[in-house]
Amino acid sequence: MKFLGSLAIWRRDMLVLRRSILSELVAVVAYPLTIYLAFGIGMKGYIGQVEGVPYSMFIAPGLITMTAVNAAYSESVWSLWFHRRVQFTIESYRVTPVSVSEIVVAKILSGFTHGLVKGLTVALVIFAITPFRFEPVNLLAYMAFLLPGSALFSCAGIISGTIMDKPETIGKVEAVFIMPLIFMSGLFFPLSSYPAAMAPWIKAFPTTALFEGARQTLTSGGFPIGFALQVTVTALLTFVAAVLIFRWKMAE
Amino acid sequence: MTIALRTHVLTKKYGQLTALDSFDLEVDQGSIFGLLGPNGAGKTTLIRILTTLMRQSSGEAFIQGLDTRVSGREIRALIGVVSQENSLDRYLTARENLELHARLHGMQAGHYRRRIDELLELMGLAGRQKDFPDSFSGGMQRRLVVTRALVHEPRVLFLDEPTTGLDPQSRRAVWDYVRSIAGSMTIFLTTHYLEEAEQLCDRIAIMDHGRLIAQGTTQELKERLSGGTVYEIEFDDEIEWYAALLKGMACVLDMNVVGRMVHVGLESWECLSEVVSALHGAPVRRISLRERTLEDVFISLTGAGVRE
Repeated sequence: MKFLGSLAIWRRDMLVLRRSILSELVAVVAYPLTIYLAFGIGMKGYIGQVEGVPYSMFIAPGLITMTAVNAAYSESVWSLWFHRRVQFTIESYRVTPVSVSEIVVAKILSGFTHGLVKGLTVALVIFAITPFRFEPVNLLAYMAFLLPGSALFSCAGIISGTIMDKPETIGKVEAVFIMPLIFMSGLFFPLSSYPAAMAPWIKAFPTTALFEGARQTLTSGGFPIGFALQVTVTALLTFVAAVLIFRWKMAE
Repeated sequence: MTIALRTHVLTKKYGQLTALDSFDLEVDQGSIFGLLGPNGAGKTTLIRILTTLMRQSSGEAFIQGLDTRVSGREIRALIGVVSQENSLDRYLTARENLELHARLHGMQAGHYRRRIDELLELMGLAGRQKDFPDSFSGGMQRRLVVTRALVHEPRVLFLDEPTTGLDPQSRRAVWDYVRSIAGSMTIFLTTHYLEEAEQLCDRIAIMDHGRLIAQGTTQELKERLSGGTVYEIEFDDEIEWYAALLKGMACVLDMNVVGRMVHVGLESWECLSEVVSALHGAPVRRISLRERTLEDVFISLTGAGVRE
C-alpha cells in the first residue's frame, strides 16, 4: 500500500491546524483545566489522598490522557463527517489514485496528531500551575498507552463520522458512549470504589486499561503490560473495523 | 479512431431497481461526448462506475483500455473529474487546493508548481490564488474545480453538470475553456442544459431508465425526429377562420393556435406551396420555419412528464 496519499491529506490537516492553533488550544485547555481546578483543588481538602497520592495528582495523568483521546476522537469524527457530508472533499480524494485505506490512515494520523498536540499542551499547563511532576523516563512507558489510546479514539471517530449522517447524532454518541467510557474508567476515582460484581466489567473497558495504565506509568513508574496490550489490541481491531466500515460506506 | 471509453452490457442494480441496464457505449479519443437524460435516468450511476467510485453489478467498462473492476488506481491517475458539487476545501486557499490535488496524484513539487502557475493564469485565477474559495463567486469556484481536475493533465475529463447554477457569462467562460482543451483530451460531459450539449459536443447520447435510447451528432439526432416540418404562421386577423381552413387541408398533420400564431405541422416542406396558395389574400404577417431543437428530440424520446 502506498502512503503518499495519506501523507498529503495529513499535511493538509496539519496546515489547517497550524492556522487555527491558538484558538484550538485555548478551547482545548479550558475544559480539563476547569475540571482540574474544580476537582483537584476544590475537592482536595475533602478527599485528601487516593491510593497514596494527593487527589490532584491522582487525576492529573487522566486529565492529560482524556484531553488527548478526546481531541483525537473529535478531530476524526467531525473532520470525516464534514469532509464527507458538507465539503465533499472525501469524494474529491477518491477520484485520485489514493485508496480508501490511505484516506482512513490519513484521518487517523490527523486525529492522533491533534490528540498528541493538545494532550501535551494540557500537560504543560498542568505542570506550570500545579506541583504535578514525574520522572522523564516514565514518559516512554506512558507513550505506550497514549499512542495506541489516541489511535483507538481516532479510529472510533472515523467509524462514527462514517456511519452518522446527521451532526446531532454525533453529539448523542459522545454523550451516550464516549463520555461514560471515559468517566467510568476510574479517571476521577479508584477502581476499588466499584462493587466487586462490577469491577470485571469496568476493567474490560479499553478506556480503563488506558487511564489506569497512564496513571501507573506516570505516577509510579510502573508498566502494566496487560493494560498496554489491551489498549493496543483494541486499537488494532478498531482500525480494521474503521477501514472496513469506511470502505463499505463509500461503496454504497 | 482510438476508443477512450467503452462499456459493454454494463448493468447496475440497487436491489430491485435497475439503474443501468445493459448499457453499451463507445467514446472516441479526443472527442467531446455529451450524455443527456432526465433525472434518475442513470447518468450519475454511469459516471460513478466509469470513475471507479462504484462497482457495476455485471458487464464491463474500460477507460483507455483499462478495466474499471481491476485497475481503479491506474484509471484514476488518467482521469479528471468535475463533480456536481463544488468539492473545494474551504480551509485551503485556491492554490493550496490545487497543490493538494497534485500531491494526491503523486506529482513532484517542481512539476506541479509550474503547472499550477500556468493553469491559474489560463483560467484567470492567478490574482486570487491566495484567497479562500468561500470568497469566490460561483463562477470562479466552478473554474477552480475545473482547474483542479486538470492539474495532473488527465487523458479523460469527466464533467458532471459543470455549469449548473452559473450565470450565462460564467457558463460561457467554462464553455470557452472546454472548447480550448478539446482534442488534447477526451471530454465526457453530462448536462441538463441542452444548449450546452449542442454547443460543445461532437456526439451526444440520450439515456433513460438506465438504457441508451439514442446516440449521434446533434444533426443526426434531429433528423431522427419524425413528423416532417413545422411552420409558424402569424395572422393579423381572422385567425379562427384560417385555422379551420388549414386544419381541413390533407397535407397538414397537426396544428395548434397560440395567440395570433398558428403552428402547422406539414408532411414535408413540399406542402408549403399548397398552404401558401390556400392563404392567398389572408392577413398573414409572417411565415417562418421552426427548426427542430435538441430539446424537441430529448422530449420526444424521454417524454414531457416531470421526473421525481
